[in-house]
Amino acid sequence: MKKKAIIAAVSAIAIALSLAACGGGSGGGSSVAKNCTNKIVVKSAPVVTVWAWYPNMAKVVDNFNNGHKDVQVCWTNVGQGGDEYNKFQTAVAAGKGAPDVVMLEADHLANYQIQGALVDISKYGGNSVKKNFSEGAWKDVSVGSAVYAAPIDGGPMAMIYRKDIFAKYGITPPTTWAEYQQDAQKVKDAGGPLFGDLGANTPAVMMALQIQKGAMPFTYDPTKPKNVGVSLDDSASKDVLDYWGGLVKDKLVGVQDQFTADYISGVVGGKYATYISAAWAPGYLSGAGVGQGTDKGQFASAPLPQWDASNPVSVNWGGSAFAVTTQATDKKLSTEVATGLYADNASLEDGWKNQVIFPLNQGVLKSDAFVNAEVAFFGGQTVNKDIYIPAENAYKGFTYSPFQVYYYAQLQAELAKVNAGSETGSEAAAAVQKSVETYAKKQGFTVS
Amino acid sequence: MTSAPAIASPRRRTPRVPLSSTQRAAQRRRAAIGWLFIAPFGVVFLLFLVAPLAYALGLSLFTKGLATGTEFAWFANYIQAFTDPSFLRGVGFVVTFSLVLIPIQMALSLGVALVLDALTSRFARFSRLVIFLPYAIPAVIGAIMWGFLYSPTFGPLGQLFGLIGQQAPFLLDADHVFGGLINVVTWQWAGYYMIIIYAALQGIDPSIYEAARIDGASSWQVALRIKVPLVSNALLLILVFALIGTLQFFTEPAVLRPISNGGITPDFTPNLYAYTTAFSYAQFNYASAISFALGIVVFICVYIFLFATRKRGSFLS
Amino acid sequence: MTTLSTPAVTPMRRRRTNRNIVPHLFLGVLVVYFLIPLWWMIINSSKDAAGLFGGTGAMWFAKDINFLGNLQDLFTYNGGIYLHWLGNSALYAIVGGVGSTAIAVLAGYGFAKFRFRGRNLSFALLLGSVMVPLTALVIPTFILFANLHLTDTIWAVILPSLLNPFGVYLMRVYAGDAVPDELLDAARVDGAGEFRTFAQVALPLMRPAVVTVLLLSMVATWNNYFLPLAMLSDNGLFPVTVGLGLWQSLASANNGGGHSLWSLIVIGSLVSIIPLIIAFLSLQKYWQGGLSIGSLK
Repeated sequence: MKKKAIIAAVSAIAIALSLAACGGGSGGGSSVAKNCTNKIVVKSAPVVTVWAWYPNMAKVVDNFNNGHKDVQVCWTNVGQGGDEYNKFQTAVAAGKGAPDVVMLEADHLANYQIQGALVDISKYGGNSVKKNFSEGAWKDVSVGSAVYAAPIDGGPMAMIYRKDIFAKYGITPPTTWAEYQQDAQKVKDAGGPLFGDLGANTPAVMMALQIQKGAMPFTYDPTKPKNVGVSLDDSASKDVLDYWGGLVKDKLVGVQDQFTADYISGVVGGKYATYISAAWAPGYLSGAGVGQGTDKGQFASAPLPQWDASNPVSVNWGGSAFAVTTQATDKKLSTEVATGLYADNASLEDGWKNQVIFPLNQGVLKSDAFVNAEVAFFGGQTVNKDIYIPAENAYKGFTYSPFQVYYYAQLQAELAKVNAGSETGSEAAAAVQKSVETYAKKQGFTVS
Repeated sequence: MTSAPAIASPRRRTPRVPLSSTQRAAQRRRAAIGWLFIAPFGVVFLLFLVAPLAYALGLSLFTKGLATGTEFAWFANYIQAFTDPSFLRGVGFVVTFSLVLIPIQMALSLGVALVLDALTSRFARFSRLVIFLPYAIPAVIGAIMWGFLYSPTFGPLGQLFGLIGQQAPFLLDADHVFGGLINVVTWQWAGYYMIIIYAALQGIDPSIYEAARIDGASSWQVALRIKVPLVSNALLLILVFALIGTLQFFTEPAVLRPISNGGITPDFTPNLYAYTTAFSYAQFNYASAISFALGIVVFICVYIFLFATRKRGSFLS
Repeated sequence: MTTLSTPAVTPMRRRRTNRNIVPHLFLGVLVVYFLIPLWWMIINSSKDAAGLFGGTGAMWFAKDINFLGNLQDLFTYNGGIYLHWLGNSALYAIVGGVGSTAIAVLAGYGFAKFRFRGRNLSFALLLGSVMVPLTALVIPTFILFANLHLTDTIWAVILPSLLNPFGVYLMRVYAGDAVPDELLDAARVDGAGEFRTFAQVALPLMRPAVVTVLLLSMVATWNNYFLPLAMLSDNGLFPVTVGLGLWQSLASANNGGGHSLWSLIVIGSLVSIIPLIIAFLSLQKYWQGGLSIGSLK
């Protein structure tokens, strides 16, 4: 009995040790590359650690490592968006544990730049890739002459819709938000599905839609880091929130959180006639199983509805860049990685062909193959030429706050209340303004 | 939630007798050896509890703004916490949640334990294991599973309501999240409490109820009048640990938050609020203050509870 | 037990079986309730993403049963990372569990069998530490470990899990009851040193409690989520709980790189709970006895 127990214990320990040992993998003494998701091709080269969540990142990293003898990338996916930001934020606060290069969405750069977490890569040769990007795209990652990241992709917004549902209820893509509401009502009256969805967990979409109507949520100049303008309850912001609050109240759109299994299965099942989203959305949808079954070829894209059709405004959701962190051991090599990773033709092509990125690299944006691509997810529609490139070209850039994470959390909480019917859009706008303003003052900003 | 241990009240020791000087020396030596036995735990306790706590206490006395530097602020963070609507709402929630959850959980686990104690069938033994099983399932995995089950689109509830052409309620949205979480937590922990009570019941000498049986008491009367008072110590300690665990409610709401359609906010419980404040907003100073403020609340609640049941210090020997 | 000890007469026994129907029904309802999530998990681990989200019914099998396919997928996806996670969980649980139990046994024995200045104060502090909120510890521990370059190593998970005040409490109570002072004194009179007395006399008597504390602390480490989540970013070091959490967050955003992770999450959850269930079932005799430690008197 006793002997048996001992044997069992010993073998359990042995199994555990051997299983865990498999995880040991490459690396060794160096504190940088312990466990890479990818293979290191050139074992002798120094290694730069990267956090990123692009769906095709594995291929991108292989492309980079195969093409570089002087440096190798060790990549980890620590989670998408918020999950990664939590980890990065923690590492920044602790002063340890950050990777050398980190993937950040454009709206989060100021958040980390103000904490001194990001390196000005222009000092390490980062400007060498400036020529590949439009002035606007480069402006989004720089402050004056300082550059805090190398842009990869953008998120020009458009409206994805179900052709089958539109055909069934006899509607054409709405060009204004007024039409969007009328069409939604029409579909509902005919017993059709929801027209769209107001997920509380995508506050960045709400912000973009408010900006589309003329809102200017923040004024912030990183060269004067103590001043910030917070204007979240102006009439445009209130109008847009009230508009969506009204759609929710009339049960024209759903209140399901996005990026969840429930939402995806709703999209697959034709529960929503439209999806207000960005150029990278098709790749995310198709990877999650959308457009492969009965819904195959049923999707199409149309320009984002406007408030004033004669005066269209283009807005953006998402789109990321690679930043070098101040914790990077070799900032020059890290800059080489930040500017060179996902910048080779093979990676970019894989990215845009699968629609997981809308590239900002001008070489791709202007290439025939990209412009005239017939996208399978949209049943062969040439969405780049017709929808996304014009939207990107018309996008004028946003100004983000240095506490964007907090702002999004507040907006998300208030959106949830609007969705629950316990608050109107205007009340939500006022509440967000109040809490963000209080927070900014508490953080020592002069708020205007 | 933290797990509760099994229970006991140690037996009283015999009174001391005056000692001679050699005996006293021997006792000093033995005291030193006693410390030696405790030393490894002492080191771990100091390194992984006292040191982090002291550090956090230090952190909580400073303020740090994005646009300002770090400043010593005395108790400003605590004043802020106890006037912070997010924190107060969170405290209000966990207190209410405890008041609803704990009676349900206790009634269920005590009821099951009494029934199991009275039955010897194979099915009873099987039930005992099944009811205990969720304890062996990590809270994260439990929460992931319930998240699937609660889905209005592809969960069983949605399909059930679909049969009668109704939209199923989403048990994690703002209106239903209270009940939705009560269910998850009860499922996860009731079995564990049941087992502890059951073990205590099994420890009772059966001859105690023989007399009552002979006097004609029914099984109900035996259960309520004899068994329950005899395991009251076990019940009390479970209650205290359930109370502490529930006031620190964290894992389930944290895991279910991303799929709750906003029903679970980042400041839903004080612990979740502290976690978000630290790891999302990087306000480690204020987050530490929130944690300590919660510690104070827990201490007060437990003290009130023990005072109310007049069992103060009964589990300190 | 108790029902059997009453003298059984035939008519009385019949009445008892009738009366037993109600409690059995009560148990039956509860068994169904407690099994629902497990049933769901077993059924759905046989489905692919389409079956999972398709309308065929959440509580019954889809048309094609793809259990083995999912299982193979689980163990091969991303270079078999799931197996690493299981191994990590086992490593953390075993090292953390054994370590914390050893420490708790020593301390519990020390508290129970030696009288010294500061004993009651230390013990009260120990019990009070139960009231410390988790986040209050995770945040500063993270910062301290980061300064020691211990974050993102296995020690970041193992070392904090050595702290087990409950275990000390249980061991103290049990040692106090199950190890008679007279026996220890006899050993000492025979000239055995304190540590030999402990190892040869006290320890064998404390065995049921040791198994219980070991099992409970292993479960606690195995189930731990937020400590490793905060401490580790290298997914090769993740325990299975954090790994599944990562998949959960990646799944809905196509971060499997075109590979739907939903089926993997379901079957991965199922596989991850099997070791603990086996441990509980096979050690039933020990822990059920251990849990009753001094629960009376």
